[in-house]
Amino acid sequence: MAGATRADVVQEDTSGFEAVAGLTVGLSALLFVLALAALFQLVSISETVAGLGTPMVLGAVLVLAGITVSALGVVSYTGAYQTTARASAGLVAAGLFGLIWFTIGGLVASQTLGLGSPGWQLAALLVGTGGFALTAFPPEDVGSTLPAGALAVFLGGVLVVGAIGPDWSWAPANFPSSQQVTFLPGIVVPMAVLFSGLVVGWAAAKAYGGFGARGRHLGAYMLIYLNAGAIIATLFGLVAFVFMKGFSPMTRGFEVGLGVGPATHLAFALVIPFADIRLFELGYTVVWPVSWPFVMNGVSLFNEYNGIWPAIIGTVWLVIGATVMAVPLGVGSAVFLTEYAERGRFTKVVEVATNALWSTPSIVFGLFGAAFLIPRFTPQPSRSLLAGMLTLGFMLLPLVVITAREAMLAVPDEYRDASAALGVSKWQTIRSVVLPAAMPGIVTGVILGVGRIAGETAPLLLTMTGDTLPDAGSAVKVINNFQLTLSPPFVTNPELTRTTAALPLQLWQIILTGTGQSSGLDDIDAFGWGTALVLLIVVLSFYAIGIATRQYFRSKLKYE
Amino acid sequence: MSETETEPPTSETDATSTTTAGETDEEIREEWRQFDFAGQAKIAVEDLDVYYGDDHALKGVSMDIPEESVTALIGPSGCGKSTFLRCLNRMNDRIKAAEINGSVCVDGEEIYQDRVDLVELRKRVGMVFQAPNPFPKSVRENITYGPRKHGDIDTGLLARLTGRRDEGAAEDLVERSLRQAALWDEVSDRLDDNALGLSGGQQQRLCIARCLAVDPEVILMDEPASALDPIATAKIEDLIQELAEDYTVVVVTHNMQQAARISDQTAVFLTGGELVEYDDTDEIFQDPESQRVEDYVSGKFG
Repeated sequence: MAGATRADVVQEDTSGFEAVAGLTVGLSALLFVLALAALFQLVSISETVAGLGTPMVLGAVLVLAGITVSALGVVSYTGAYQTTARASAGLVAAGLFGLIWFTIGGLVASQTLGLGSPGWQLAALLVGTGGFALTAFPPEDVGSTLPAGALAVFLGGVLVVGAIGPDWSWAPANFPSSQQVTFLPGIVVPMAVLFSGLVVGWAAAKAYGGFGARGRHLGAYMLIYLNAGAIIATLFGLVAFVFMKGFSPMTRGFEVGLGVGPATHLAFALVIPFADIRLFELGYTVVWPVSWPFVMNGVSLFNEYNGIWPAIIGTVWLVIGATVMAVPLGVGSAVFLTEYAERGRFTKVVEVATNALWSTPSIVFGLFGAAFLIPRFTPQPSRSLLAGMLTLGFMLLPLVVITAREAMLAVPDEYRDASAALGVSKWQTIRSVVLPAAMPGIVTGVILGVGRIAGETAPLLLTMTGDTLPDAGSAVKVINNFQLTLSPPFVTNPELTRTTAALPLQLWQIILTGTGQSSGLDDIDAFGWGTALVLLIVVLSFYAIGIATRQYFRSKLKYE
Repeated sequence: MSETETEPPTSETDATSTTTAGETDEEIREEWRQFDFAGQAKIAVEDLDVYYGDDHALKGVSMDIPEESVTALIGPSGCGKSTFLRCLNRMNDRIKAAEINGSVCVDGEEIYQDRVDLVELRKRVGMVFQAPNPFPKSVRENITYGPRKHGDIDTGLLARLTGRRDEGAAEDLVERSLRQAALWDEVSDRLDDNALGLSGGQQQRLCIARCLAVDPEVILMDEPASALDPIATAKIEDLIQELAEDYTVVVVTHNMQQAARISDQTAVFLTGGELVEYDDTDEIFQDPESQRVEDYVSGKFG
């Protein structure tokens, strides 16, 4: 190839340079983590470390990282160490640094120096152009390290000299007074450190890779890893937050030991239907070895500790009912769409419609349930568990259709051919080859859908609103109450046509409408956090069941 | 062989014909239509035309396939030989755009008519595909799949409860099919492992065993060894020749040496979906009637 640039394949020893760059990468990752911790208030910025305020310490580390990374760039530029730096850091980096320095220049000019209207814009433009030029025109090693290092030194310096300290605050004057906006150090300091840590880490990772193609690759990796880490940390932080808040109310009065728990009467009877004749009945009473009031009790004046048992049972039955309705219907229509229907305009329309249904707001489903389902179940239209189940089932249906369809389309046609060539009919092929092969995908869809509907509040508000804080005795007992009747519908269950509590609904009721106050709960807030934690655990349990099911179907398809 | 009226030669075929003795394709066709093989005709095809939309994939193909022998179909890509094969057990019905005219008789019964039971047809005329396609199930389940679905062996819970479950029959079937496919010695100790864990050659022999388990009379093979290495190919070829003692085997292949090695008679399809020549394999490879066929089998084109 004529004109291609060549560098030595085996390069000089640059381990000293790499060691410094690696340390800088570590330093900026540490800053990033500390800033994240400060955002979650795990590290307080108003405390002191070795006699200095936390912001000052963070700022000093930031200044150090900034100086080092700039030094790395300059050393590479002077040629003391061999790197593969290109002619420029590139237009994208230059644009971004220009924007960053434009913002900084503008803020300093208008807020700190107090320049007026044309003045601060001019200053911002000047500084921004400087940042752009410094990135774009020198070789890559200087262009990608100096603007980053300068950013870190500047922001670090602001923290070190105490210009932004624990007591600093800034209320921009231009906002209308009715929406007073105030920046507080609890957010500003961590965000500044987070951002400059990210930028310095990027520059240091590039230096570590010796710039050029490998350096850009490592720089991108650094950004991606730090971002992914931050996202995962935020999610875990969210769960941990609920857990910390909810754990103590959830475990109040928790006891383990023989005979401490409630007694359950287990009975088994053989009954002749319609005639109400009991042939025999077996029954015995079990005393649970665990007492867990928050989970086992309802709310009543006589309880030492109140609990949410009826709501847990309500949510479990809602999910079971919705799944029992949606899965056969959804898988059935997916079978029709993929295996029987001619692929064409019709299937396209159905596909678009199911996708649209899945993104329909849940309150719309709730309205449908209230207006269409409720009047059809009981002589006197009233909200009921059955209406809630069906409404949630309708919400779940589109996702089951979508994922089951995708999963069945992914089953290779070779299986269908092989089965047809053996003379096996289409339906038997679907049942014994296509569905088993699609099962893991279908289960994944159901898992996702259940996670959504288990926490839905809006549709339940319209279709099933039950007592806010019921006692334990009012938990629905669906299984025990199926009755056979001689006239249609032949099977009835009064439990399905009454209302019950559900976890998300109860959470909404006690926290937002304050119904808890009148019911004698001593600490509504703690009760709410406990409920939230239990809801989280219930949803995660459904997930666990789903993942175990999926694993079972997968293991049947795969060889080890 | 029955003599039937054929369409008068079309101008299109005349235009492309060049033959060793200056004869037209049509005259050659008349000659080999006299081709009289030893034994009974298992499958008789008359004037078979296949269209995929506007594409005329097979043009007026007529040939009889003798029982208990290996018939090879060779020809360049896109010549319609796979299409022809898939017509013999009506697998082309599964392609919506395909339009099939003509007659195919298996044991004297027309299979392109309304009252044909595809299940029974395909039980009798089995098929093995180009790429090994075992189900993602155990080796045993792969073998018993067909018979179970046809109700020939009962292995379900109901059968167990009512005592109809015949464990021995299923075991015998699995062993017999795998032995026929020369696979038993290799997999007898892992019948319950997933079939996808077998090697490619073993998977293809498993597919043959799966096909044998439904007790077919004809086995159609669509380039059964093209995805396999030479050793696995040799095993499949040996197997095909053994199977020809009891079954009618029709093999599509790209590999002319393979056709020469394993087949009793060979049909040559050339571009345009025409059956150009059909004769004993030795005749086709040593003394073909048509110049085009000679060019093709000697490697001058295609």
